[in-house]
Amino acid sequence: MAKYLLKRILYMILTLFVVATATFFLMKLMPGSPYANEAKMTPTQLKIMNEQYGLNKPVWLQYLIYIGGMLHGNFGTSFQYSNQPVSSLIASRLGASCQLGLQALILGVVLGVIIGAIAAMRQGTWVDSTATVFAIIGKSVPNFVLAVLLQYYIGLKLGWFPIAGWGQFSETILPTIALAVGPLAETARFIRTSMVDTLSSDYIELGKAKGLSRIEVIRKHAMRNSVIPLVTLIGPYAVALMTGSMVIENIFNIPGIGEQFVKSILTNDYPTIMGITMVYCIGLVIVLLITDIVYGLIDPRIRLAGNED
Amino acid sequence: MKFTRVLAAGATVLASAVALAACGSSSSSNSSSLAKQTINWEESAEIPTMDLSKATDVTSFNQLNNVMEGLYRLGKDSKVEPGLATKTTVSKDGKTWIFTLRKNAKWSNGDPVTAKDFVYSWRRTINPKTASQYAYLFEGIHNATKISAGKASVNSLGIKAEGNYKLVVTLDKRIPYFKLLMGFPLFFPQQEKAVEKYGSKYGTASKYMVYDGPFKQTGWTGSNLSWSLKKNPDYWDKKHVKLNTINYSVQKTPSTAYNLYQAGKIDAVALDASETKNLKNQKGFTLRPGASTFYLQYNEAKNKNLKNANLRRAISLAINRKAVTSALGGANKPASSLTAAGLTKVEGQDFATKAKDTQYSKYDPAEAKKLYKKALKELGVKSISLTILSDDTDAGEKTTETLQSEIEENLKGIKISVQNLPFKTRLSRSTSGNFDIVVSGWGADFADPISFDDLFTTNNPNNNGKWKNSEYDKLIAASKTTSNNEERYNDLVKAEKILLKDQGITPLYYQTTAWLIRPNIKGVIYNPAGANYNFKEAYVSSSK
Repeated sequence: MAKYLLKRILYMILTLFVVATATFFLMKLMPGSPYANEAKMTPTQLKIMNEQYGLNKPVWLQYLIYIGGMLHGNFGTSFQYSNQPVSSLIASRLGASCQLGLQALILGVVLGVIIGAIAAMRQGTWVDSTATVFAIIGKSVPNFVLAVLLQYYIGLKLGWFPIAGWGQFSETILPTIALAVGPLAETARFIRTSMVDTLSSDYIELGKAKGLSRIEVIRKHAMRNSVIPLVTLIGPYAVALMTGSMVIENIFNIPGIGEQFVKSILTNDYPTIMGITMVYCIGLVIVLLITDIVYGLIDPRIRLAGNED
Repeated sequence: MKFTRVLAAGATVLASAVALAACGSSSSSNSSSLAKQTINWEESAEIPTMDLSKATDVTSFNQLNNVMEGLYRLGKDSKVEPGLATKTTVSKDGKTWIFTLRKNAKWSNGDPVTAKDFVYSWRRTINPKTASQYAYLFEGIHNATKISAGKASVNSLGIKAEGNYKLVVTLDKRIPYFKLLMGFPLFFPQQEKAVEKYGSKYGTASKYMVYDGPFKQTGWTGSNLSWSLKKNPDYWDKKHVKLNTINYSVQKTPSTAYNLYQAGKIDAVALDASETKNLKNQKGFTLRPGASTFYLQYNEAKNKNLKNANLRRAISLAINRKAVTSALGGANKPASSLTAAGLTKVEGQDFATKAKDTQYSKYDPAEAKKLYKKALKELGVKSISLTILSDDTDAGEKTTETLQSEIEENLKGIKISVQNLPFKTRLSRSTSGNFDIVVSGWGADFADPISFDDLFTTNNPNNNGKWKNSEYDKLIAASKTTSNNEERYNDLVKAEKILLKDQGITPLYYQTTAWLIRPNIKGVIYNPAGANYNFKEAYVSSSK
């Protein structure tokens, strides 16, 4: 196990290095400068600015300087927010996105599993069809449309929850629902399919024949097998949700990281692009590792280090 | 897949219907805002910095204009009003300015505001190490250009303090709009003690600042979405400041902002295109001209055909500008001058009206056809193909679509293709001359037509199409040396008419934004150029 982990961690570091390198050089291919007032600056002024920020140096040298800084934990200073270290910008923005993403993930997956399981158990009945229709709608209606509807009807007309803002728990409810619907629909469809499969296998029949109750068959046998594939799904979902959604953040005035990422690309804010990309990437490789470990835990048939036998 | 799309489309329609339905009702603000003298305002983006040497954007300048003060404040119609300067003397040649400062002005840390703070601030901004993106506005102040290029010492800048309350500024040449510049936050004072104390944190959060303006800022932590301005008890003219608090929130989605307005949570919202259309009869509907003009530049250096004035005129006459503004929606106005409408008044008349071109900057398809035939003959070609370049934003795409259909419909045989690219890419194509026709926009930094008219002099780096006219150059140069204001404006009007007669550029529209502002908020001063808002004497009134 330790050997396996060590190997995986080495691969993770290699992955991060490759991503950092590729992002850096691709980013430098984007035309224009990181200066907000670029349109009004003369070529001479641009030259002076580039000298100040070291952007006149050859790209490979800039790359070495950047990687060197990164290894010392220095992600540089943002261009959009003058003098603000990228690390503190990310720190102040990541929290909101993480909280919102986590809430949406939990809500979506838990409800999704329940609805999917019920649909599978009542396969072919009106319950199943209703769940399927909801899943399709949930999957196909963009979350921002739902966000606008929730905001208008529940926020403004009924006044149950705040229209927008960030700080109190009540303000997180509407955006959580808007974000949760996608994973909810996906999970429900997924669980239904794999549960229908599982329910028709021989060992379920055996369980029933042994005289186990319906609930016990589902809980002890069907559920455990049906949930395994879901783990694959949840990993990337978790990263995607926790790193923020620009549209939902904008609609509900949430100070998240998603919008900052898009804005940093549009404004050529090089250090911020790199910083957020690395945070995303670190999140993803860690989640993938956890997914693999969790796999082994819930399904004894999967061995982490296959060659040890 | 198809089903999914239909569902998505249906949902979008539903959402729009909801947005429309939302336009029906409105609730008014409560009476407590009257007693508290508190207003809730929106900004469209986060504050990137409160360091005035580094600010580049509207949000920062709006904040700085209300928490800081310079020699003057800009009042209604960009009129210069007293700030820290109590007396101003100008030498006959217009090159030496002596300002006497008031002695009762204080920083929020209790120290007096002195002439040295101006000297320090200007030197800091112009220092190439500071990397100010607005340093070019110092051009004309003695040695400024040399210093910002690193070719002269910062101390040689034409500004010095004589004692604590006398400031002497030396210019290399007359700057007719110098007083206007002094009302722009870039030229406000900064306290050396504070800048040194906070070091690299200076201007990165409310607490790392000192203020000398009507308000002090609280609650901004660097990149958050809400903060406040509170009345500054140390401000020299506090008796004229009526508001106690201005709460700001960043609103990036117009429908959210309008929902918050209806719920009484904010008092002023910028409207998007559909809201503008639906709410234009509502009380509090206000138009805000933006000091920006959008226009076409023709690449005369790269495309020989575009050197032909009749072709450019034909294209201009073929464009129904009302079709462009209606495609864009919102409150934009068709343009017939380079200088933006509403930027500045000369003898009671809008400069843009004086400079307006009635011959070619209008819609006249019959004349357009004639001139197009003439141009083809002059050029000895049978047909012409051109590409119009613009941004890949919604507005950029709507503009190019409309231009393409207008021009192709009215000039038979012309082939127009369009290209919409991200802003930074579009910009680098424009500056490197890699285009046929480009849709450009320019916003003035200060309320003087020269900020537009300077653009199309022969060697100006923003003259991307390389249009050239020696008479135009002469008039612009003359406008900069004359001490007679009337003569100066006449020169600028003449110059702009030459540019438009030749269609060196083709004006399309003036950017205008519609707002909904609670009618009981009075005394807010809005200026299209530079820092937009001045809340010094704003108040909440009992009448609506």
